[in-house]
Amino acid sequence: MSKLGQIVESVENYNKFVLDQVKRARTDEKFGRELLGRWNDIKAKIPTTRTPTGLPLPRLALPEIDESGEIARYLFGEGLPGEFPYLNAAYREMYLEPVREIESFEKNAGKIDKKLPQAEEPTRLFSGLMLAEDTNKRFHYLTRHQRTHRLSTAFDGPTLYGLDSDADGVFGKIGEGGVAIDTVEDMMRLYDGFDLGSPNFSASMTISGPAPIIMAMYIAAAKRRFGPKVVPKLRGTIQADIFKEVQAQNETIFPIEPSLRFLTDMVEFTTREMPRWYPISISGYHIGEAGSTPVQQAAYTLSNGFAYAEMFAARGIPVDQFGPRLSFFLDCGLDAEYIALARVSRRIWAIGMRDVFGAGSKAQLFKLHTQTSGRSLIAAEFKNNLTRTAAELVLAYMNATNSCHSNSADEPFTTPSEEWIRLAAHGQAILLEESGIFKYTMNMLSGSPGMKAVERAVEAAILDEFREIERLGGVLAAVEERYQRSQIQNAAHRYEQQIYDGTRPIIGLNRYRDGDEEIPEVKLVRAPRSKQQLQVDRLRKFKKKNAEKAKRGLDKLAEAVERGENFFPMLLEAAEVCSLGQITGRVQEVVGRFRPMV
Amino acid sequence: MASPIRILTAVPICDGHDSAINTINLEFIRHGIEVIYLGYHRSVGDIVRAAIQEDVRAIGISSYNGGHMEFFAAVVDLLRKKDADDIKVFGGGGGTITHDDATIMKRKGVEEVFFAGTSLEEMAKFVHQRYGKARTKRPRPKTRDQELAHKLTEIEDAAGKRKKHRTSNIEHRTSKVIGFTGPGGAGKTTLIDELVLRFLNRNPKGRIAILSHDPSVVGEGALLGDRATMINSQDDRVFMRSMATRGQAGGLSPATHDCLALLAQSNFDYVIIETVGTGQEAMPFQKNGIVDRTVLVMNPDYGSRLQLQKIVMLDLADIVVVNKSDLQRARTAHTEIEQRLEQNRRSQQLIDTVAKRHRDPGVDKLFDLICNRA
Repeated sequence: MSKLGQIVESVENYNKFVLDQVKRARTDEKFGRELLGRWNDIKAKIPTTRTPTGLPLPRLALPEIDESGEIARYLFGEGLPGEFPYLNAAYREMYLEPVREIESFEKNAGKIDKKLPQAEEPTRLFSGLMLAEDTNKRFHYLTRHQRTHRLSTAFDGPTLYGLDSDADGVFGKIGEGGVAIDTVEDMMRLYDGFDLGSPNFSASMTISGPAPIIMAMYIAAAKRRFGPKVVPKLRGTIQADIFKEVQAQNETIFPIEPSLRFLTDMVEFTTREMPRWYPISISGYHIGEAGSTPVQQAAYTLSNGFAYAEMFAARGIPVDQFGPRLSFFLDCGLDAEYIALARVSRRIWAIGMRDVFGAGSKAQLFKLHTQTSGRSLIAAEFKNNLTRTAAELVLAYMNATNSCHSNSADEPFTTPSEEWIRLAAHGQAILLEESGIFKYTMNMLSGSPGMKAVERAVEAAILDEFREIERLGGVLAAVEERYQRSQIQNAAHRYEQQIYDGTRPIIGLNRYRDGDEEIPEVKLVRAPRSKQQLQVDRLRKFKKKNAEKAKRGLDKLAEAVERGENFFPMLLEAAEVCSLGQITGRVQEVVGRFRPMV
Repeated sequence: MASPIRILTAVPICDGHDSAINTINLEFIRHGIEVIYLGYHRSVGDIVRAAIQEDVRAIGISSYNGGHMEFFAAVVDLLRKKDADDIKVFGGGGGTITHDDATIMKRKGVEEVFFAGTSLEEMAKFVHQRYGKARTKRPRPKTRDQELAHKLTEIEDAAGKRKKHRTSNIEHRTSKVIGFTGPGGAGKTTLIDELVLRFLNRNPKGRIAILSHDPSVVGEGALLGDRATMINSQDDRVFMRSMATRGQAGGLSPATHDCLALLAQSNFDYVIIETVGTGQEAMPFQKNGIVDRTVLVMNPDYGSRLQLQKIVMLDLADIVVVNKSDLQRARTAHTEIEQRLEQNRRSQQLIDTVAKRHRDPGVDKLFDLICNRA
């Protein structure tokens, strides 16, 4: 049985364990009394906060139960926020604002509350356009009101495919849909003016195929600006999710096996040298955007995650070292599953990591970034997209996501413009800061009978998917047989059919459509030719300047890859003097190119 | 009956958004169109080369990652430069292509740009209306590849009308012809692409042709997708043609024989012919036909030993390849097939390969075997 089969068993066993505890609480009087005592104790310790209208509210809402069996079902089956199996939340207080006016039943509660507020805003907006300096300007604009600077970087097509801006036929793609990065010098421009070693700064980079190379460039840029001592202080995330690329997003540049090996090389390096870095973001977002069902999205994301965990453990990295450095990224659309998709995922992950991998509590957490669904947005009557995104945001926060990106309404046509980005960011602020939905009480929207029903159905469906993948020989074997790809494609096809036959209503498209097609007047963000040429010129200058050193760097890198040793130290050296395309090309000579799957 | 319309679809370089094109491809097929799918992340050069070799009526491009103004224009320009502008260009990109963009793109020679909200049926209808009529006057082919491509179209069209094309004369054949067959999913296409890489490296001036087959869906079109997974065969020294079986059983098309005869006398060093995924009874290559050597590519997961007895090609193939030999069952498969071949008392070769692996020694061995003995 592969690890995934064991995961299925562990979840089934845990569910059985919960039922046993319920039964025991009802039959074993002493155990029942203990639980009741614990429950009353928990309730007594919940501080109260006052809303601006003067309404007193508990900072944690619990179900109104006083029977020991039900208490057992809640505490073991769901767990309090921040407690195993983390159904309700990974952390205790998530988005709660600092205590306003405390009326506590416990004298010492106030002391605890002082450190409760979360240090960082959960808002993290994805951005990247034209050249490094243009994106840098956008970053400064986005973070101007924030006490913490959490940047999220989108790269252009050539960068995502590991190509240089002067590669054949990519000129028109330079700086389109993301920022063009060719060299360490671009990387320095990209984050200019930000204090990369500060605990208030974190950089997220959305790139997978060439992720180790980009990571090496980031480290090289940070060292040039702040010296070598900055490395252990670097905070951020790089996507580096190879499986989902092969399953859905098609931005893989090396064959699967060497890609996974390079990823493990990077993870081995960062877990040791950069303990605050997240070297992988296990992503369902692109699986969802490629057209999967929500259940497929969660099932593939989780199974990919478990496959990575197995790989890192096989390399000898201790689970309690890499476990806390894994992060997840899910899509949030409007289907009913999204009411609890992330909640269920968090629970399965925790059980699997604890019971199959032997992970400690920090390595059990499913730390989640959510993005509202880009696919749910449409061009026709595009202002409706504001409503779609708002509804998705509510769902995302109901699932207690750790951070969130809200899409701009103009995204169906273009890289979002500042006007619509502002509205998207403000949407989150309205929800979290202006509205009282999430800031006073944990569990405000958790635990409705409907939500429980969704949880049960979604969990069962995810485990079924796991069983199917297990039957195919595990994640890697299933990927190579293109199982996930064809499942996603079938779902995408069904989705399109449903739109065209009207069984899936899309307002403004197949329902309530006005006769006249609204041609949106949006300000387009396009990279001008002059900027594209500038990028090419800069790159050529860099290559000329470093020609000699680059050759040596590439030779040493190729030798390391050939020998099969961890290539990351050599990559760090190469990143100082080589361009992205030079490195990609040289490594491909040794390991080959990725063969596309259809 | 008129031949089905052949079009080529692709997603531009640095763009992996294939969700839309996959759906559109399926819809086209349902409407009787033969779609040669080139895949995603494809350069202008690769697209135009493939379109000329396949001699399609039009190229459909699905672009979601920006840069479409330059990309579409570059495809149109290159077609003109190669005197192949009777191959038309259309496409779309959901909401990423604005109406203003489309106006400029059309001015530059793109025939149609579809916007978000266009129904799949509308697109299929467009293809039928715009490209359904036979091309009467073709421009004089500028290159030998183009001339060859036009002739192959004539042969295919004639076979469709059940007209006998000029009897193929294979006396002047200049190429060695290698036939590849085997069940679907065994990795034939990958294996061929890896052999092509070795051929191109070893013969700096050599040329190779590939005639590849995919099944027609009954009463409908066909998805000819072998090119999409090929990375080494996108090269000016490789001439590839994809054919749909158009109702013929056995893994080949009614026009295959004549097309192969033409290719075999067109100055290629090798002509590779790949059948569709075949079943146990298939014997796609005729005895004393044009094919010099036959390679049967097997997947280790063929089931029980009894199944092997039923595979006719095991008696006929010159070389049997067990691909995916990294799979658990591969060793058993090798032994079982070896014993099966011994019954034949012919000098058949058995080779294990892992075609997906870069520089696989098994593929090297197969390449040497084909080159030295074919």
